[in-house]
Amino acid sequence: MEGLPASVAQRLQAVTYSARAVAYLQVDENLVLVSAGGDLQNYGLATVRMGKPALDEAFFLLGLLPLLETPNYVPAVELAGGRVADLHLHSEGDSVWVMLLDVTTERDAARRVQQNAYKMTLLQEQEALLNRRLEVANAALLVSQRELEASRADLLCTHEKLQRELAEAASYVRSLLPAPMAEPFVADWRFVPSAALGGDAFGYHWIDADHFAMYLLDVCGHGVGPCLLSIAVLHLLQAGALRDVDFRDPGQVLAALNDTYQMKSNDDLYFTLWYGVYQPISRRLDFGCAGHPPAVLVDPSAGAVQPLKAKGLPIGMMPGVRYANEWLIVPQQRYLYLVSDGAFEVERPDGTMMSFDEFLSMIAGPASSDSSDLDRLYKTLTTNRGSEALEDDFSIVRFAL
Amino acid sequence: MIDTVQRKICMLGGFSVGKTSLVKRYVESIFSDSYLTTVGVKIDKKVEQLPDRVVSLVLWDLAGEDDIGSLRMSYLRGSAGYVLVADRTRRSTLQMALSLRERVEADYGPMPFVLLMNKSDLKEQWAIDDAELEDLRHRGWWVRASSARTGEGVEDAFKDLAVRVTR
Repeated sequence: MEGLPASVAQRLQAVTYSARAVAYLQVDENLVLVSAGGDLQNYGLATVRMGKPALDEAFFLLGLLPLLETPNYVPAVELAGGRVADLHLHSEGDSVWVMLLDVTTERDAARRVQQNAYKMTLLQEQEALLNRRLEVANAALLVSQRELEASRADLLCTHEKLQRELAEAASYVRSLLPAPMAEPFVADWRFVPSAALGGDAFGYHWIDADHFAMYLLDVCGHGVGPCLLSIAVLHLLQAGALRDVDFRDPGQVLAALNDTYQMKSNDDLYFTLWYGVYQPISRRLDFGCAGHPPAVLVDPSAGAVQPLKAKGLPIGMMPGVRYANEWLIVPQQRYLYLVSDGAFEVERPDGTMMSFDEFLSMIAGPASSDSSDLDRLYKTLTTNRGSEALEDDFSIVRFAL
Repeated sequence: MIDTVQRKICMLGGFSVGKTSLVKRYVESIFSDSYLTTVGVKIDKKVEQLPDRVVSLVLWDLAGEDDIGSLRMSYLRGSAGYVLVADRTRRSTLQMALSLRERVEADYGPMPFVLLMNKSDLKEQWAIDDAELEDLRHRGWWVRASSARTGEGVEDAFKDLAVRVTR
């Protein structure tokens, strides 16, 4: 240690020796361990044997000996015991000297720094990977969204087409309905099909000079299918096209319809029907009913209502059904209402349903001469419903008898 | 009398690919989830019993780098072979392994090596598929799937290498 006072050089030597746990090995030209010393125990080398192959006694020297360049420095070597040493090798004469200086503390400090740096790099790599996956997922999502939009546009187109067809069907049904009548008694009606088009239809016509038929039917379900069936039945009733049937006899008409339109052969469709035959001269009203809401006779002066009930299953549910005939003499100054269930089965916004009795109380009062009360009735129902549109067809026919 | 020979094997690869864990699995048959980065080199020894000889493998587990240029090539002096390690869930580590192999060949010439695709147990996170590995095999590489966690492929890889470095 040239240039250093002897005292400083000695002190430096002492500090290095104790702080670095200096140890050494001396290996001859035959790679035999010839001497060792210093803090060998620190490196797990306390039991090395002199005169034995150095690579057996200190296997970490494999690859370092024979020494190709001198001096040689191998930093931060963690040995089997866990201590970390800087290795300094140099040759002198026929020997190679191996010095071990403990750098475990420095290695640990460096490791902490390095580890944090690597963790940060790993996080960045993961972030980049996630971003790439997110981009792929976004691209796939975009494709799905476009496909969905295309499907939605197709669906909308189909829906609009269907709505047009339903509107056309409703218009056709309306064209088949009879015109309001003023003589010899007043007949008026309101028909408001639902958006999905229910299967309501109704009619009235003279069977002969003395007998006047009146009827209202409701095919189950909604859409064009039920509508087609209601049109077919309407045509059949208007044309009186049931063989061997006396259309003045409601029981015969209902039974014949039931035989003709069994649901098994009609796409599982069935329908309800109220059918009556009125004779103005005698004021006799014969009627039958196939599972339909009863017609209602109203005495407006007394505010009294009389549901005209008759037993009978809906048409098409079971073959061979017989239908009862009921009759009564209609007193003077009466209104007769034919209705579909859509005229009173209305769900309010709070989830409760209007009842038939509530409907009866609505029609019990006096009617106006211009029949605008039918419009008011519809308005009341839509107000109750809380919407301009009803769930089912609204059909109501009123006769002033 | 069965011959006993010593061979130096270096573990090479990017950082955090599992080199130290593979050595720990091979030498001590244990695995730990905690990650401790290697600084410098860690030297271990495992004696491998082959049919015709005993090989003492001295394993130099070199610090993984994120920069190929920072590898101290002097650590490889005297090596009989090496284990290249890549993390199968990180594509960049395969590129690093390919570069390391080129650098080793340039400095020390060809020597036996095996490429371990480590963390192969994390199949749902694979970033490198079988087709790419097959391509390397067609180029004459020894490529094996490995997992220090499960032990898959570890023992066999070192044993194969032990045979090849003692021929």
